[in-house]
Amino acid sequence: MYRSLFNILSGRNTRQGLWGLPLLVALLISLWLTVETTQFATAENLFNLVAQAMPLIIAAIGQLVVVLIGGLDLSVGSVMSFTTAVLALDQPAIVLIPAVFVLAAFIGLINGLAITRFNVHPIIATLSTQYIVLGVTRILRPVSGGTVPEIVIDAVSGSFLGVPYPVFWGIVVILVAWKLLYGSRYGLHLFAIGGGIASGAESAARNFGVSDRRNIILAYVVCSCFAAVAGVFLAGRIVSGDPNVGLLFELDTVTAVALGGTQLSGGIGSLHGTVIGALVMALLANGMNLANVSPFVQTAIKGGILLAVVGLQSRKKMGL
Amino acid sequence: MLGLLKTVGLGVLVASALAVTSLAHAEDVKLMDGVAPRPDDTRMTAAGAFKKDPPWVIGMSDFGVNANTWTVQVAHEAENAAAKDKRISKFILLDAGFDQKKQVADIEDLIAQHVDAIIVQPVTSTSANASIAKAVAAGIPVILHTGRIDSDAYTTEIQGGAEHFGKVMGDWLVKTVGDNGKIWVLRGLAGHPEDTNRYNGLLESLKGTHVQIIAEEHGDWQYDKAKKLCETLYLNNPQVDGIWSSGADMTRACVDVFKQFGTPIPPISGEGNNGYFGQWITDGFKSISPEYSPAQGAAGVRAAVALLEGQQLYKRYVYNPDGWDKDKASKYYRDDLTANVWWPSELPEDKLKEYYGKK
Repeated sequence: MYRSLFNILSGRNTRQGLWGLPLLVALLISLWLTVETTQFATAENLFNLVAQAMPLIIAAIGQLVVVLIGGLDLSVGSVMSFTTAVLALDQPAIVLIPAVFVLAAFIGLINGLAITRFNVHPIIATLSTQYIVLGVTRILRPVSGGTVPEIVIDAVSGSFLGVPYPVFWGIVVILVAWKLLYGSRYGLHLFAIGGGIASGAESAARNFGVSDRRNIILAYVVCSCFAAVAGVFLAGRIVSGDPNVGLLFELDTVTAVALGGTQLSGGIGSLHGTVIGALVMALLANGMNLANVSPFVQTAIKGGILLAVVGLQSRKKMGL
Repeated sequence: MLGLLKTVGLGVLVASALAVTSLAHAEDVKLMDGVAPRPDDTRMTAAGAFKKDPPWVIGMSDFGVNANTWTVQVAHEAENAAAKDKRISKFILLDAGFDQKKQVADIEDLIAQHVDAIIVQPVTSTSANASIAKAVAAGIPVILHTGRIDSDAYTTEIQGGAEHFGKVMGDWLVKTVGDNGKIWVLRGLAGHPEDTNRYNGLLESLKGTHVQIIAEEHGDWQYDKAKKLCETLYLNNPQVDGIWSSGADMTRACVDVFKQFGTPIPPISGEGNNGYFGQWITDGFKSISPEYSPAQGAAGVRAAVALLEGQQLYKRYVYNPDGWDKDKASKYYRDDLTANVWWPSELPEDKLKEYYGKK
């Protein structure tokens, strides 16, 4: 009994991945910062931390959906930059906000079609759209600037009963993603398709009547839409459009997903693991700032911790 | 009536004296050689507005420490200036790595640490505005340098004009290649405000001339990329009268390409980099070096200290020095130091040798 409880908590022998390890790392970092610094365990800093982690949490959840089916979306960062650029087009919010989601869904559709209909490798397909979207973004907004609709700024910077809005963004996004992954037939199909691809039986899900093509296309559309939500949040935080704001998000989201115990080969992973993975990354950045770690060594420390945590999560260790 | 006039006259005299005194105080604060109050903006901070008893904790949000050797030196200059002042108990240097959202987070983290002053090198002209305003609203003075923002919500700024930088090189190039010259333009990072503004300075120089840009490419201020570019441009069309280069590493790369092909090096603009100075002195080609000192990092610390001492500062300072010729470059060039040091520097001899000495 104790062993099965341990297995659930550690993710061993489950399809959730090893999310217990990054959780432990997050707790250890938090404990260390609470002891070492006077500012970490303050409400002001913790709310800052949530706001700082939120774009990565949102975009990483989108990336998780794609990774679960054995794919990868490298256009995530460009979609985020593009979203901020569109939002700064000086048009009414009622036009701009729906527009960014329609455009993001279209980008996801292109990715999905390229991968499923034309058999382009996900890395090549999404790298191509990354460049195309980045190019269009730079045409729209060559340098940062413009004005984001007030409603977007208020939705990110305000608070309700002393709780900043980013906390509510997190709750809503996680609930939606939870429903999608664990409370819908579509979520079940994602795990089935990914599991089949990871074990070399790509047609396994199809044999049970699951349309892998349609679900894969939809996964890329969902991923782009999450990236657009993250872009809207970022636009509210930087109060402008910026062609480069999403740079490196494609890699950070993959790192957060992997850190959270999700297997990049597909079929194994969890929402809570991904959220924890993103939080660990934000904690590292926030913690090293508070601990006044020299910027000359911060990157190396971050890389070392990420390598250690991800390196401990081999597929074999999960018993799969 | 006479009494009233005397009173008014005396009042005007006292007010004038006070104004002159406050002006003198502001001008007394020497931030850096070549830095002066912006002539068209006389706004000042209130005397004693940010006065605090030491020890002070000063935070700095750097736009990107490790982008290139110049940005590394800015960080060293700031750290050194802070270490020299014993009233500064802690200097927190945070690196945004040219990531806008990281800079927003860094400034928030500094506010949460209740630092006494924040120095910001903005990544872009807009992305950090909200967090800078938040710091000012929390009573923390914010000093900007080496990058502007589209907002007045800071305390004071020291800005080396990128347009000025581009124009110094552009004016010299126009004079050197003549009215009908054909030039290449090597730009920095696409979308970066510094690149756009330096380029605008060049366009200003070209106005009213017939100088023709026959090739224009982005070398991202990087040696490797610029070398490939110059090789391609040379092989495509070697007939060029002069080159406007937005940064020293790209200039060094392009000079190396011409040497590699064994052809004369056309007039080319440079920058205050030791490696470039060595190349300029040795190879003897025509060039100019606009000044953009990494010691602006130290000037930012001095501005923060001045505010915490209760001194008045102008809202805006400009840093628009003349370009350097080869004679001036020769006075600064150090053969015993690597190509990674930039001039002029305020680093003491031991630090110069520690960071840049040839081993």
